[in-house]
Amino acid sequence: MNRRMLELVAVPMRAVRRATLWWALGLAALVAVTLSAWPAFKGSSGISQAIDQLPSGVVQAFGLQDFGTPAGFLRANLYDFFVPLLLVVAAVMLVSGQTASEEAAGRLELYLAQPVGRRAVMLGRVIAALVALIVIAVVLLIVQLASDAAVDLRIDTGYVLATILLSALLAALHGSLAVAIAGLRARPSLVLGIGLGVAIAGCVVASLFPLSSVLAPWRHISPWDWAFGGNPLEQATQLWRYAALGVPSIVLTAIGVFSVTKRDIAGA
Amino acid sequence: MDGAEGVIQIDGLVKHYGKVEAVRGIDLRVARGEVFGFLGPNGSGKSTTIRCLLGLLRPTAGTIGAFGLDSTRDGVALRRRLTYMPGELRLPERLSGMEFVASIGRLRGGFDPARRDQLAERLRLDLHRHLRDLSSGNRRKVALLLAFLFDAELLVLDEPTNGLDPLMQHEFLGMVREARSAGATVFLSSHSLSEVQRAADRVAILRAGKVVAQGTVAELRGRARQRVEVWFEDDPPAAELKALPDMVDPVVDDHRFTATLSGSIQPLLGLLARQRVASMLVEEPDLEEAFLNLYGGAA
Repeated sequence: MNRRMLELVAVPMRAVRRATLWWALGLAALVAVTLSAWPAFKGSSGISQAIDQLPSGVVQAFGLQDFGTPAGFLRANLYDFFVPLLLVVAAVMLVSGQTASEEAAGRLELYLAQPVGRRAVMLGRVIAALVALIVIAVVLLIVQLASDAAVDLRIDTGYVLATILLSALLAALHGSLAVAIAGLRARPSLVLGIGLGVAIAGCVVASLFPLSSVLAPWRHISPWDWAFGGNPLEQATQLWRYAALGVPSIVLTAIGVFSVTKRDIAGA
Repeated sequence: MDGAEGVIQIDGLVKHYGKVEAVRGIDLRVARGEVFGFLGPNGSGKSTTIRCLLGLLRPTAGTIGAFGLDSTRDGVALRRRLTYMPGELRLPERLSGMEFVASIGRLRGGFDPARRDQLAERLRLDLHRHLRDLSSGNRRKVALLLAFLFDAELLVLDEPTNGLDPLMQHEFLGMVREARSAGATVFLSSHSLSEVQRAADRVAILRAGKVVAQGTVAELRGRARQRVEVWFEDDPPAAELKALPDMVDPVVDDHRFTATLSGSIQPLLGLLARQRVASMLVEEPDLEEAFLNLYGGAA
């Protein structure tokens, strides 16, 4: 990486460092607080019996089965919904904030007027968002493993690692969708709307479609199903699931980085 | 293409935003070492043309470039040789002026810190303050400093003195002259006629996306109307005065004659030489007059 490219990464990195810190702290707090409740649930038959009273659809939709087991507890409280969704929101917002928002506000103008290519400017911002996402995911992993140990929640470290990696890849996929849209149009509302809209739609498909025998086969269209359909907290994850999230992420990022050269730069 | 044919070459430039025709066919040459004034009211297509030159916009038709380089195809090489001050200025808020200048410096491959400090002092700019804490005038000074920091061959300045106080406007004109003396070409867009009049060698006047007049400042002054007022010691030769060519609204009132001249002043001076003239006032013609006349004629 030459000095110019380093600067094109360093500029957005400086801009997102505070947001990265807050996202990491927020997720760490969510995990730590949630895990602090584990001792009360551990092996509790009362809770399991209460959940058994609920309609099976509700139990399945909210991932409440096996609530008293380590994997069931983590799934229901964190990894079926909250943590992946927060990571997705972080990724889409980081990308939108450093690409479409900056461009629409006219703050890219002076950078793009320098002897650098648009692709390099865009790529620098994508790399900065990716680094921020990795930092957040690593903090999440560390806090998760530390909290597991602190409250004696016994679960395979490899499975936790796989689950967090899949969550981060799901976030990267939505972040790269945001990159593609920002490359095509410098409209922050469009980037956020489509990025978050697709995330919520995918989440709904993955959690509600299985309840209907007609819709159940269609749950596989959801990236959430690609990520968590294999129950990564309890089973080894097939490699294709990582690829199904990673490969489209690369393609979408490439679309965004290349298409930004084909259009006008938005003025202030 | 460089040199004799001009540093900036614009041929048949057209730029549409959807149905809006911002630029409707501009042809222009700017020669090496000249200060070129690009004049027109807001919305006449000045910034659009400049943003096409920078490669920020893709022309709908025609070509635009500098130094023989096309701004769409060879944008990076072209931007290496020019600096740019945007008309609508937005700076990153969380950086100090010093950090921002250093950042742009790294993208351009370095600069002379002594020159940065000298320019900051000249512009009375405190670069240690955060950009978000600066007034709009001081933010523009940061952009102005960047435009003059890098020894560029071409300076593209879009409404550079907007928001600057008169003292700084004066300083700016000095900086433009120095840049030209050092061999730089300056492309200066403005709706401030007095500024262009003082700084530019040649001017193009833009209206609704087209160049409606082009020439040296002296030529434009030649087209400008001048208001004259003459007091005679005796009765003025009313008939002869009214018969002079290029007289608009000649009025003879007692010992006083007033008129607006739309052409040469020579015939009037010839006639006055034979009269006893008490005093005479000729208002300085400015581009504003030429500008308004052109617009009045074209509207």
